[in-house]
Amino acid sequence: MLTNTAFEPAGQEYVTIKGIKNGLVFKLADDVQFDAVLGALTAKLGNGSSPFSSGAKVTVYVDYGSRELTPEIQDAVEKVFLAVGEIQVKLYQESEEEEPQASHKLLPKPPYVYKGTIRSGQLIEHDGDVVIIGNVNPGAHIVASGDIYVFGRLRGYVHAGASGNVRAIVAAAYFEPMQVRIATVIRRSPEAYSHPAEMEFAHLEGDQMAVEKMSLLQNFQNLLMTDKAVI
Amino acid sequence: MGEAIVVTSGKGGVGKTTSTANIGTALALLGKKVCLVDTDIGLRNLDVVMGLDNRIIFDIVDIATGNCRIEQALIKDKRFDQLYMIAAAQTKDKLALSTSAMQAIVHKLKMDFDYVLIDCPAGIEHGFRVAITGADQAIVVTTPEQAAVRDADRVIGLLEAEKIPPAKLIINRIRPHMVKNGEMLDIDDIISVLSLDLLGIVPDDEQVIKNANHGEPTVVKPDSKASQAYRNIARRIIGDPVPLMNLQEQSGFFKRMKKMMGLG
Repeated sequence: MLTNTAFEPAGQEYVTIKGIKNGLVFKLADDVQFDAVLGALTAKLGNGSSPFSSGAKVTVYVDYGSRELTPEIQDAVEKVFLAVGEIQVKLYQESEEEEPQASHKLLPKPPYVYKGTIRSGQLIEHDGDVVIIGNVNPGAHIVASGDIYVFGRLRGYVHAGASGNVRAIVAAAYFEPMQVRIATVIRRSPEAYSHPAEMEFAHLEGDQMAVEKMSLLQNFQNLLMTDKAVI
Repeated sequence: MGEAIVVTSGKGGVGKTTSTANIGTALALLGKKVCLVDTDIGLRNLDVVMGLDNRIIFDIVDIATGNCRIEQALIKDKRFDQLYMIAAAQTKDKLALSTSAMQAIVHKLKMDFDYVLIDCPAGIEHGFRVAITGADQAIVVTTPEQAAVRDADRVIGLLEAEKIPPAKLIINRIRPHMVKNGEMLDIDDIISVLSLDLLGIVPDDEQVIKNANHGEPTVVKPDSKASQAYRNIARRIIGDPVPLMNLQEQSGFFKRMKKMMGLG
């Protein structure tokens, strides 16, 4: 818990701490004497509220606000941190804060579920898995960063793992796509291809694409699991 | 208040204008008051198919620009009491007709007519968007060819995006013997791709071409198969349940023809 110290007048904090994705930001007030700020920082790191008691190596970002930066000031601040533990001190920049939002995109998103026919000229683009409950007609496009599942006839263009995920799959109840792409591998449906009356899925084996019965999806996923374990 | 129906296809040359002319005439024969509207500005030919090309004084762009009133641009078909048409402009550009002007025209026509049939230009650009505004229903015409079906699919998607109720499908120029031999797309295949209600199937019939060249809709002559097909479509539009023409029956018809020729 951050509380005011003797060095800070009530109602005004010289040092405020904020968490960002990469670590902590120490915002130092820029409208008071630097010595007072340094004192407040020392006090804050010294008391029980210090976040560095674990002894792990951490990085902190220091936001000097509009204060004119001199090597002396930076040295002084760095010394205060080094006195507490093995801490890397970096200058805070606005871009550090934007990053947590960008990284948010990497989190798995809920699948996009579409009910109905996707017709020629229509495009479904989604960052994540896409589920179509209906037909995907010739000339329709689906682009997904994750897997694509079609509960109907797949006869359009599909691109799974569009952002490079080679483990993405394309599955369809009636698998007859014009073209399948997984990550960067492109295949078109063979001209004469007899369709079994069961759901199929396409996946990558190295840089080759394979189409198999849905019942083998389990094996494929187990394979992935062992892959992961090796890595 | 009547109903505005747009006849569209995406691909050109599949029989939009022929279908508009024949369905309109068939509806008029059933006693409905019908107005045909040609929106293919710059490439009008509904007037030619109807045989009314020498009677155009004002066209749809004249109405839109205020050059004339709607009544002045209505061309009455002398053969039928209840059949009128509005021609497209031939010397103007597609952009001469705006969606708002079209909407106003269709709205006014619906006050006076039971059915307003709008003949849509090929393509999906401005002309298409103008033609479909104000339509309460859409008829999509396709032929049993991959290219036509693909374009029809695209158009259906665009109609859905415009919140026009699910279109009805007409499959035109079916050659039963080619379908039977698997050389032409099967009707069931087409419906499974387009997933629309089938309004009718029209067999390929040379009579249609002959009649169109004489400026006479095929339905006027009741003897041909295509004529019968268009009459059935018109009856389905007014809510009369008519069974679909049976392809099997037709192949039987063709067989009989062959037999007759063989005997003769």
